Amino acid sequence: MNVEITGLTRRFGTVKAVAGVDLQAGPGVFGLLGPNGAGKTSLLRMMATAMPPSSGGLRLLGRDPGSYGPRREIRRRLGYLPQNPGYYPGFTVAEYVEYFALLKEVPPARIRVAVAAAIDRVELGDRRKTRLRTLSGGMLRRAGIAQAIVNEPELLLLDEPTAGLDPEQRVAFRALLRDLGQRATVVVSTHLVEDVAAACAQVALMDRGRIVFHGTPDGLAARGDGGHSGDTPIERGYSAVLAQTRS
Amino acid sequence: MTAATIAPAASRLLRLELRHNAMAWLLPVVIGLFWLTTYRKDMAMPPMWNLRAAGLQSGAVLDFAVPVTGAAAWMASREVRHRVTDQVTITARPRWARLLAPWVATTIWAMVAYLGCVAVLYGVTAHQASWGGPLWWPAVVAAASLPAFSALGFVLGTFLPSRFTAPLAAIAAFFLLALSTELIHGSQSAWQISPIVTGPWDLGPQAGVAVFYPFAPDLCIAQMTFLVGVTVALLGVPALPAGSAGRAVRLAAACLTGAALLAAGTAVGLAGTGTMDAHGMIDIPALHDAADDQPLRFTPVCSDTTIPVCLNPAYAGFLPATTDALAPLLNQLAGLPGAPDRILQVGVTYQQDTGNGVIIRQDGPRSGATPSTAHLVFPEQLPEPSMTADQMASQLAESFAPDLVARVIGNGRGTSQAQNAVARALLTAAGLPDVVDRTASTGTGRSDGPGGADASGQPDVAPGTPAYAAAERFAALPASARHAWLVQHLAALRAGRITPAQIP
Amino acid sequence: MIGARLVWLYAVGRRVPFAVSAMAVCAAGLRIALLGHWDAYGALQLPLIFEAAAAVCVAATAASPFGEPERVAGPWLPFLRLAVTAALTAAAIGLLAAAGTGGHLSGGTLDVLRNVAGMTGIGLLCAAGLGGGLAWTGPTGYLVAAVYALYTQWHPPGLTTPWLWPARPPHDLGGALCAGSVFICGLAVVTARGARDPGAPAST
Repeated sequence: MNVEITGLTRRFGTVKAVAGVDLQAGPGVFGLLGPNGAGKTSLLRMMATAMPPSSGGLRLLGRDPGSYGPRREIRRRLGYLPQNPGYYPGFTVAEYVEYFALLKEVPPARIRVAVAAAIDRVELGDRRKTRLRTLSGGMLRRAGIAQAIVNEPELLLLDEPTAGLDPEQRVAFRALLRDLGQRATVVVSTHLVEDVAAACAQVALMDRGRIVFHGTPDGLAARGDGGHSGDTPIERGYSAVLAQTRS
Repeated sequence: MTAATIAPAASRLLRLELRHNAMAWLLPVVIGLFWLTTYRKDMAMPPMWNLRAAGLQSGAVLDFAVPVTGAAAWMASREVRHRVTDQVTITARPRWARLLAPWVATTIWAMVAYLGCVAVLYGVTAHQASWGGPLWWPAVVAAASLPAFSALGFVLGTFLPSRFTAPLAAIAAFFLLALSTELIHGSQSAWQISPIVTGPWDLGPQAGVAVFYPFAPDLCIAQMTFLVGVTVALLGVPALPAGSAGRAVRLAAACLTGAALLAAGTAVGLAGTGTMDAHGMIDIPALHDAADDQPLRFTPVCSDTTIPVCLNPAYAGFLPATTDALAPLLNQLAGLPGAPDRILQVGVTYQQDTGNGVIIRQDGPRSGATPSTAHLVFPEQLPEPSMTADQMASQLAESFAPDLVARVIGNGRGTSQAQNAVARALLTAAGLPDVVDRTASTGTGRSDGPGGADASGQPDVAPGTPAYAAAERFAALPASARHAWLVQHLAALRAGRITPAQIP
Repeated sequence: MIGARLVWLYAVGRRVPFAVSAMAVCAAGLRIALLGHWDAYGALQLPLIFEAAAAVCVAATAASPFGEPERVAGPWLPFLRLAVTAALTAAAIGLLAAAGTGGHLSGGTLDVLRNVAGMTGIGLLCAAGLGGGLAWTGPTGYLVAAVYALYTQWHPPGLTTPWLWPARPPHDLGGALCAGSVFICGLAVVTARGARDPGAPAST
């Protein structure tokens, strides 16, 4: 298992953003669903080693991120796209991706190829020399994804990766996810349940800091047979699980 | 990562940072400031390496400190401003190493600009200076201040990232520099460690310093130690917090920071023991090299006047004006018994007075080592920007001529009225009416000599007296007649056997 | 009431309370500095440094954290920029002048008024041209030049242009006109356009 989480908790003052989550994930695409404030981003940030947990167990890629040495080793094999990624507006797309390749300690001899491959995979090859400040929101998002995958991560964490992408790009991105999921554990946090349905083998639904459903997209869809709101079966399943939890 | 991969990765990272560093955008500001406040000021001073180097050190530190500190703080706060903290935090490269890259880039840009400025200033000086070579210590101290101020901004920007950090850090750096010199009172002040201090603060830049004696780098060594210590200590600080780097790196950073602070503190202590030596430089006993107290050997540059005027080669540019000012007098005195064979420039000695005062005296006796040599001291204030070379030479002649005349005609207690009359006539004929008029109006035979040295010897002749009339008569004679009379009667004149009435 | 609330929210977004605190610290620093006995250089230079610090605090508030959404939100933005910038400048001048009251403040209140206004103007022009984040570059560079101009009052070659107003006497008309025009230009540009958006070439 690349991700092993037991009783993971994160508090912000008196608020429990993540309240005792247990989760395991191996290679493949893993969808993390939930309403606003469910704790998805906090969970993802802890999995990305950006934020330490308040309590509980967390093992990533077979290592404990609580210690500096193993954490650094995890980070070499980690990719992360935050919900609101920042960028240096004066950098070109290629420089931006190269910068992260260098920070992720990609071997220097491989950097040029790795950067070109990452940019091509998000279909920004013709924009590699374009400065980030001139890119559209969707293109910036794709540049963000490129930096996340430049080190060919074994654990890829994507927070709302399809926000701002046009329908055509979303379809292409789902294909990319499936491709990445063949070798790595890809955790995708999203509100767009159709992305999960199309790309994820496993899905977890969070609400109020807890995982209230863990299974396959089909399993989630099956929970929505009771006439709950939603245009698609999985949306109806999503609503049904939340309604059931909150009742 | 191995050593084989660290270097190319660091090089690529640095290239990226250099392309996107705010300091590059500030270079026009820095270069403009350097031109306005340092280059212009230095070029207005005589082309002497000591003056130009001192001006370079203090000027460049002030010009570069503000933009470098601001740019470093600005770059260090970049991750927070652009909200990339999460993205970069989760990368493998240690935070400390990641943050160091923009610091290095900022420092490199500043250093490139500084070296360019030094090259221009020293290049121009090399073309203008008549003697000596570049003084590198002051230039090195100014260079060492760049990474130190860059590190100061870097640490402030790292730990206090805000839109106010860069401007307030820049102004705080300037405030520190301005304040440091305000707190120097007399010798033995620890504030002499400030990199804009180039010598005894109460003395200011002196043309005669490091010309007759070697440049003593004591203070520069202390300043360098301080700046390097501060730089290393500041750079070590971001590596100290947990999670910034591995345990070994953090331990090394802690040791390095401690050692650097110790070095900086020691340097401050050493600067506090620095006193102004007799040659106008800071002497720090623990760092002083006795070899710096040995006079420099030089071949003076001499005029081809009847009595040659010989100057230190560093002052060669002033020889024509000096010669022009003294030649009328020298022509009258040449060949007379007691007249010197040559006039040789000598340096001065400095001594800290009470409070912030400095006493400046001629170095060695007024006469030369041999009776045939007369010693000449240049005024403290050299030509440009406040006076021309001719004005300086006139001032020099006014202070030196009465001494020289007195040496030939005789002086001291019991000087006769005839001697005074002849002396006055010689000065009048030499075109030094200011000295003569001042003597006539005050009736004193005394004025301040160069550098505050005692220069008695002005003839004491009051208007309306027989001596005054004799002086007028003698001055009106043709130069050859005056000279012939002096050759014949000088011994009697000096012996007091000539009365004013006997003067033709 | 709503107007006051809007002004307050605008001010908070631009970190005006922090700027006022920083200016108060500058005023306190000036007051402490005036307790000391400085030579002629120090008596002129130290107040100028505090004036420059207050000016960069005003200029630093020009940057908007919201960008386009704020710009298209209604017609009040220019008035808010004008009011808050002018009020902050007045506060900076007032705080520094108050700190100098009863002390040996070289040049007096007129000097403070002229220097703070002029350097704030430079900062506002930089904010409009380079971005709010880099508004400090102009006033800090100008500070170095101005301190040097003060120094040349004793050490020629002198810099006596009225554009270096801190080196001119407080009642000098030329210096006052230059400082005043720079302030008015800066205020006008920032009122009309605001600070340049983040993402400008110099803000990487």
